[in-house]
Amino acid sequence: MTSRDPLRYFRIEARELVDQISSGVLDLDQQPEPDVVARLLRFAHTLKGAARVVKQQEIADRAHEFEEVLVPHRDERVPALPADQMRELLRLNDEIAGYVTALSAPAAAPPAPVEPEAPIRTVPLNEPTTQAEVDQAHVDAELARGADAASDRPERAATADLDDLLDAIGEASSRIAPLRDGGRTLARLHRKVETLGERMRIGRTTVSDSSARTSVRRLAGELGALGRRLTDAVDQVERELDEVRGRAEGLRLVPAGSIFTALRRAVRDAADGEGKRVRFQASGADVRMGPNLLNLISGAFLHVVRNAVVHGIEPEAQRLAAGKPAEGTVGVHVERRGRYAEFRCVDDGRGFDLAALRRTAEERGLLAPGADPAPQALIDLVLHGGISTAPGVTDVAGRGIGMDVARDVALQLGGEVSIVNRPGEGATVRLVVPLTLLSMNGLIVEAGGTTATMPLDSVLRCVRLSADEMAAATATARLAHEREVLPFLPLSQALRIAPAEGGAGSGVAVVLAADRDTVAIGVDRLAGTSTLVARPLPDLAPAAPVIGSVSIDLDGNPRLVLDAHGLVAEARQESTTARGDSSLPVKPRMPILVVDDSLTTRMLERSILESAGYEVDLAASGEEGLEKARARRYGLYLTDIDMPGIDGFTFVARTRADPALGHVPAILVSSRASAEDRRRGTEVGASAYVVKGEFNQEELLAHIRRLIL
Amino acid sequence: MTAGPGSVARRVRRLREDFDQSFAEPARSHDEEHFELLTIRAGGRPYAIKLSQSSGVHPDRPVTPLPGPQPALLGLAGFAGAVVPVYDLAALLGHPVGEVPRWLVLAAGTPRLGLAFHELDGHVRAAATDIIRDSGETGDDGGHGLGGTLRGLVDLPGGSRPIIDIPAMRSLVHALAGHAQAADEEDAP
Repeated sequence: MTSRDPLRYFRIEARELVDQISSGVLDLDQQPEPDVVARLLRFAHTLKGAARVVKQQEIADRAHEFEEVLVPHRDERVPALPADQMRELLRLNDEIAGYVTALSAPAAAPPAPVEPEAPIRTVPLNEPTTQAEVDQAHVDAELARGADAASDRPERAATADLDDLLDAIGEASSRIAPLRDGGRTLARLHRKVETLGERMRIGRTTVSDSSARTSVRRLAGELGALGRRLTDAVDQVERELDEVRGRAEGLRLVPAGSIFTALRRAVRDAADGEGKRVRFQASGADVRMGPNLLNLISGAFLHVVRNAVVHGIEPEAQRLAAGKPAEGTVGVHVERRGRYAEFRCVDDGRGFDLAALRRTAEERGLLAPGADPAPQALIDLVLHGGISTAPGVTDVAGRGIGMDVARDVALQLGGEVSIVNRPGEGATVRLVVPLTLLSMNGLIVEAGGTTATMPLDSVLRCVRLSADEMAAATATARLAHEREVLPFLPLSQALRIAPAEGGAGSGVAVVLAADRDTVAIGVDRLAGTSTLVARPLPDLAPAAPVIGSVSIDLDGNPRLVLDAHGLVAEARQESTTARGDSSLPVKPRMPILVVDDSLTTRMLERSILESAGYEVDLAASGEEGLEKARARRYGLYLTDIDMPGIDGFTFVARTRADPALGHVPAILVSSRASAEDRRRGTEVGASAYVVKGEFNQEELLAHIRRLIL
Repeated sequence: MTAGPGSVARRVRRLREDFDQSFAEPARSHDEEHFELLTIRAGGRPYAIKLSQSSGVHPDRPVTPLPGPQPALLGLAGFAGAVVPVYDLAALLGHPVGEVPRWLVLAAGTPRLGLAFHELDGHVRAAATDIIRDSGETGDDGGHGLGGTLRGLVDLPGGSRPIIDIPAMRSLVHALAGHAQAADEEDAP
């Protein structure tokens, strides 16, 4: 293949080098270390050489100047670049990046005239030594990954992903071998049958011959075995191909880390403009999503991080006076939450100036004078535009533009933006957007003849259930598992599939966790795991909440991807309904014993429990509680800690020590909220700990439902 | 990062759609006096569909059932990597839901929508004069269709058949799904 475009390889290489230089300069700025200088010199030098070969003099010159700035610092133990040199490096970095970008723009700037035959010297993209040194280099691993993954360009699909894909393809190919063996075996059997048939035809062998019967039996056996082998092999090939497809689809997605370098640079520039020292942190570089989505978010977050530096981070003197480190921190954290991606910008600055916000809001007529909105209501005003807390409008931030952009992007992507203000300690801007395409690992399950995928992230474990256990769990909508009673929901019920003929057989309970809740979902069998790309349900397909998204299987048919949150909610509800349903042969519910010295608490708890349908007995002290506990069978103890006489810890400990009472779960309800108390609670054997201050009826009932059979 | 990879993707998508569309659209009749019609049965009753309002007819396409609030929504089918919701025409027409329909017709327009029916009787060309009470006429829509989903009747050998108006069917589905019928959605690749 002759390369008619002499710049073809240079473009790729130059982009890679520019990315590495951009990220290296920021490393140097934040953490001056000799190996960063060495690394940058190497990149610049490589770029200079390559640029000269393809006659890109401007780039070569800038790379040379870049080197010139760095060379004097090569041997310094701690490279100390004066601010103006640092700025010069950043400027050169930008210029080089500009030239390189211009090279890639198709119509812009026709490539420099070069003889088509000119030999092109290309440096391997990932020279092993370079890569190894890069890896060793003391850089923030996340940032490095971010820069490494900075690719919204097809030429540079992250190498590791391609390796994974190739592995998967290799694996799939290797599964072909048994099929080929099977083919040979089949040919051999075919010959045997023909021989046998021929002998029968010419009458040499008759059906009554015992040798003929033996041959036929043997053939039947071999054919059966071959059939099983082939089925296994095809199953395996299918699974591997599924994996291949999932990984290939994943290549279309871009890691979130690819926007980190730009954000880091924005923080750096804003800090420089403000004369502040700010450290940039990032996490979640590996979360993958569609490039369009990421581009939009990157645009919004550029404003958000700048705002954080300009409005949030205080000048050094103020920080020191407030007992904070002189250097401020701005962090960008990306996390996947089910079908959503969460982008957080966290700073440790002063937080939003509520008084200033109120003043501005009043001036703008957004707030009636004298009104006293809650702090969060004021903060929310920022999101609605037109308000900035900056005393002066600077060139990098001000007028609340950042928040407007963030809000617009959220709106455009169907997401949400929110702000958490911690006065004096900083602020968090959170942008949550739904992911249209999402690469995930799925657990493939079968129920009632349907195949569906569960997000593997949410699966805690799988438990095999016998036919009897399955039937019992289905009838009661509950499953006892590891000393807990979990709501149980057969998947076929969640998917509204008629139950299999002849009742349920054995199966598997998939224990799922979501929303800090755990439930068990009954399936017929597990069919492996796979990497898949989940896409949203089509607009015209309203679905039950248990369905999260859809993926495409090997045959091109849609396969449902279940939503863990939806399943948990449905299992909870079904379980509660089943319990309330008197037609079901459920054991009568056992009463609850409330132990508390405060009359108010006793009455409050009794009314909550009774209105939830429980029978309640009361005890005013630990001693009375013990007495009652021994006199009647309870389903649960609910006890205060601080009581005259024996306290709640003791009450729990004593009941745990009593073989007749030890199995009855106990919940501690107390105004003590310390970790130490919680730990003690766990130690004595309490099943849950509810703080009265945060007393939440639903939380309490959730605990009770979880614990009581 | 600013050189728009999105614009290329958009262009490719448009080209691809145009290409697909050129196949999906039936060769237009030069004779304005005629209509291409599919004669079908849904819920045991005869109907006709204008071919120009559809973009494909498929038999035995696997449909993944989708539990949800819409009984008329049979589920999802895959078409060249796209996931298409499939509704039961009989149910949309208000007939009792019987057996699972075998055929499905893709409605023209976006977002993609499949309408399933039980039997395909054939493909006929009907003269405009054979169509009575065509669209544009006010009042009686000539049948039991919900929300004007039937527009006119066509006289064919073997009896007259109500014509199912696919755009009206689409509007009905949009209403059922609670989805505003809007211009093209902005979708990420």
